[in-house]
Amino acid sequence: MTTAISLVRENTETMQPPRALWVSFPLGRPLGKPGDAGFQHRVIAASLDLLTRQAGPVLVDYPEDAPTVDIKTAPACPVSFSKPATDTDTWKAALLNELQTLTPWYDLGRRRRKGRTLVGISNFSMTENLEKLGQLLDDEILPVSELNWFKRAIEDAKVFYLEALTAQPGDYNQEQLQKILWNDTAIGAAILKFNDMFLANTELSSFARIIAPRNVAPRNVPTRTTNKD
Amino acid sequence: MVRLRDLPDYERKHLLSKNLPPLGPPAWTPLTKSLSELRIALITTAGLHFRDDPAFEFADSTFRPISGNEDANYLVMSHSSVNFDKTGFSEDVNLVFPIDRFRELEAEHKIGSLADVHYSFMGAGLNPEAYEASASQVAGLLKQDKVDAVFLTPV
Repeated sequence: MTTAISLVRENTETMQPPRALWVSFPLGRPLGKPGDAGFQHRVIAASLDLLTRQAGPVLVDYPEDAPTVDIKTAPACPVSFSKPATDTDTWKAALLNELQTLTPWYDLGRRRRKGRTLVGISNFSMTENLEKLGQLLDDEILPVSELNWFKRAIEDAKVFYLEALTAQPGDYNQEQLQKILWNDTAIGAAILKFNDMFLANTELSSFARIIAPRNVAPRNVPTRTTNKD
Repeated sequence: MVRLRDLPDYERKHLLSKNLPPLGPPAWTPLTKSLSELRIALITTAGLHFRDDPAFEFADSTFRPISGNEDANYLVMSHSSVNFDKTGFSEDVNLVFPIDRFRELEAEHKIGSLADVHYSFMGAGLNPEAYEASASQVAGLLKQDKVDAVFLTPV
């Protein structure tokens, strides 16, 4: 027997699994709130309670919303991106410059999380990944023969940045974090540049959808010197 | 809070395209013992695995075992979707894979026991039918582990 958490009620309504608890929490957060054992236990208890139902399918709405974080009370971003990324001539230099700025914050966050980090699915270091990504952009080349590495390097970079930006304890405003990542950083601009390059490639245009959310792309990407200039 | 009406139009349409009919005739297993006697496994579609395990491909119907003896804090995520936030999971593995909460329930005798092995799939890029073989395999493994009930989490 199964009992499921449902994040998209409409999907669950049509597929009719035996027992499901729909929660109004954001995608990515099926238990509602990180670090809050009491909140998580209430969700689990409601889900396990469905196992006692005598007939189904059962789809129950969980009554509690996840707490939202006001942008005014959220911790400030610890990193200053005051030096415009466009000051750095090449993508490679811009990305490595930013990595140097962020590394102490990433390390601090990792220590606070007792060593926990999501970085590492690419099996290459951040320096190796950013050097290679920067070089690809400087040469205006898509990594067509290394798409698996590319996707994992992009995911490693995004979580590295987000873990650095959330190095200090506190409840963060997700919208604010995403705005910083996509609007203020060289890596955000780099991913969107790749996004544009994939969109322009007939055979690989669908790949753009799995590197950047569509609500942040396309946008104006800073111009840098490339080896084709 | 997120409801479909709060999402961008493209994301709402994408999620509604996942409205699919039931996979087969209704399946219903009644509870035959108390919750405090149940052996429970966790299964997630969040694309979790340990760093040394192979990452999931862009569309991938395979699964990864997650041993109950290993430290879940070292789980990483190679889900191919970019349309959800990962910072909460960075902060707390239990937000997606609530293993510590279930260990607490086991210690408090609110459930019977936890499975020796839990499982992770990566739920993107494929329709449910593509998972039939691997899901059947996991069902067999759960039976071998004498699991009574499964707690399922999406991401």
